[in-house]
Amino acid sequence: MDFTKSDATAAAKHDLVNRLGVDHSVVEEISVTEKDFPDMSLGAPIDGEMSAQMISTGWEIKLGVESETYEYRADKYQLRLVDFDGQNFVIGN
Amino acid sequence: MNRNNIWIHVGIAVVLITLAAVLGQIRLWETTLRSAITPSNETLRTVSTYSDRDKRSISSEPEVLVHFKPGVSLAQIKQIAARNNDLMDDNYEAVKGWVSIDDLDNADADATAKQYAAMSEFVDYAEPNYEIRLDPENSVGSKDANYRTGSGQPNDPRFAEQWALNNLGKNGGKELADIGALHAWTKTQGSEQVVVAVLDSGVDYTHEDLVANMWTRPDSVPEYNDEELGSFDDVHGFDADANADDPMDDNGHGTHCAGIIGAEGDNAKGVVGINWNVSIMPLKFLGRGGFGTTKNAIEAINYAIDRKQKGVNVRVINASWGSTQYSRALEDAIRAAGEQGILFVAAAGNNGTDNDKRAHYPSNYNLPNVISVAALDRTDSMASFSNFGVKTVHIAAPGREILSTWLGDAYREASGTSMAAPYVSGVAALILASEPNLSVAKLRERILGSVDKIPSLESKVASGGRLCAADAIGLRH
Repeated sequence: MDFTKSDATAAAKHDLVNRLGVDHSVVEEISVTEKDFPDMSLGAPIDGEMSAQMISTGWEIKLGVESETYEYRADKYQLRLVDFDGQNFVIGN
Repeated sequence: MNRNNIWIHVGIAVVLITLAAVLGQIRLWETTLRSAITPSNETLRTVSTYSDRDKRSISSEPEVLVHFKPGVSLAQIKQIAARNNDLMDDNYEAVKGWVSIDDLDNADADATAKQYAAMSEFVDYAEPNYEIRLDPENSVGSKDANYRTGSGQPNDPRFAEQWALNNLGKNGGKELADIGALHAWTKTQGSEQVVVAVLDSGVDYTHEDLVANMWTRPDSVPEYNDEELGSFDDVHGFDADANADDPMDDNGHGTHCAGIIGAEGDNAKGVVGINWNVSIMPLKFLGRGGFGTTKNAIEAINYAIDRKQKGVNVRVINASWGSTQYSRALEDAIRAAGEQGILFVAAAGNNGTDNDKRAHYPSNYNLPNVISVAALDRTDSMASFSNFGVKTVHIAAPGREILSTWLGDAYREASGTSMAAPYVSGVAALILASEPNLSVAKLRERILGSVDKIPSLESKVASGGRLCAADAIGLRH
């Protein structure tokens, strides 16, 4: 199933709740912005991954929990968590 | 009067009349030619038969060419010009009677020509001297301007949007900021004997503009058999992502790259590839999202090597992908491909950074069969997103707003060094179409040694220039 902007945002919130073990109510949606990314890993490759070097449009999703900001990136095929404890993660595609 | 003298005079008169008639006819033909064309830059640049006399007017103000009747002296011509407040600008000794008139009132050239033509007592013909504007770059580089309009163009309806092949300066572009494809096509339009592997997200091998140029395994070549992966009925290529025999594209990226290399030419559909004819072998390792594993990339390269060893003429692998992670195994696989005579063309990456300082792979592998490609926009400027590196990025090619094939018989524009690399792969295939036995070293040398030098690229890429198809196949311009 392809992601829509709202699907991707909902999936990002769900991932963050599970990842941090916090209640859904404490996750703040800071911004969801359409953006061009440098490649098809949305500029957030994981280890051992190669990606097509085509400028790709998707969404940058910024969520807040307490004073921390978490960045997700998504397009219709995938959702990624960027630089979480120094690593990128592919959440789903 | 002596009878003999009369015949001599009659003879001279006949010769003069004949000469005048011939000259008059030539001018009539020239006038017809001029009236048939629009005096715009683009059109005038295509007329290659103008004489030196025409070219002399390049830098002058608009003027009128007048042919005076025999017997009208230079002094009389000067008097006539002075009466009209004009200046006799030039007298063409080689063609007696022709002078150019500069109108000091700066009147419309057509009106001035009519004014002189009306003096039928003295004047045979008068016409505006249409100015031929030579683009400074055109005159300096003497580019392939003669091939840019008119005959020789493919009938693919969206060819006019393919600025990378024939840049006429539209949509904010810069004239001649392209790879000189039209000139190159006068020598070769590709060959189905040359196989280019598109190592990517697969290729939509049913696309209306690609289907005729897709590789299919000939009966003489056995099915692919890998000791670990098993056997595959690889009619269309190989899918290393799913370990399957169907490399159908489910993303679009590979189909876009394939169209740049070899969308069928002159088929009255969509776009045209650099090669009107070629054999594209789809190798899929990028999944639906456009990303994949290094391991699967290696599996796909091994497939290409195996097919080469079984007799398939795979000469180029296009790699419009990458990351910053080094892999010795991937490097070895690409080296092995080189040892089989396969050129490996790789995208330099889209982070806008210097690959000399922060490596991008596979483009940064220092191997004799690797070409790393940066992206240019339609003004010959490096695209803002493009990686560069005077030591590690070898050449630049068009890579912004590139129209090509997409899934489901569609077409779309895309940007990235992903789009620049296939231009180099395509030109490599074009070279091999006419020089099939060229070694991979010579092929690489030819491509990098035939660039159009661009000053702004001297500090950005090793060759200091943009890909030039015409020069690469041996057509100096």
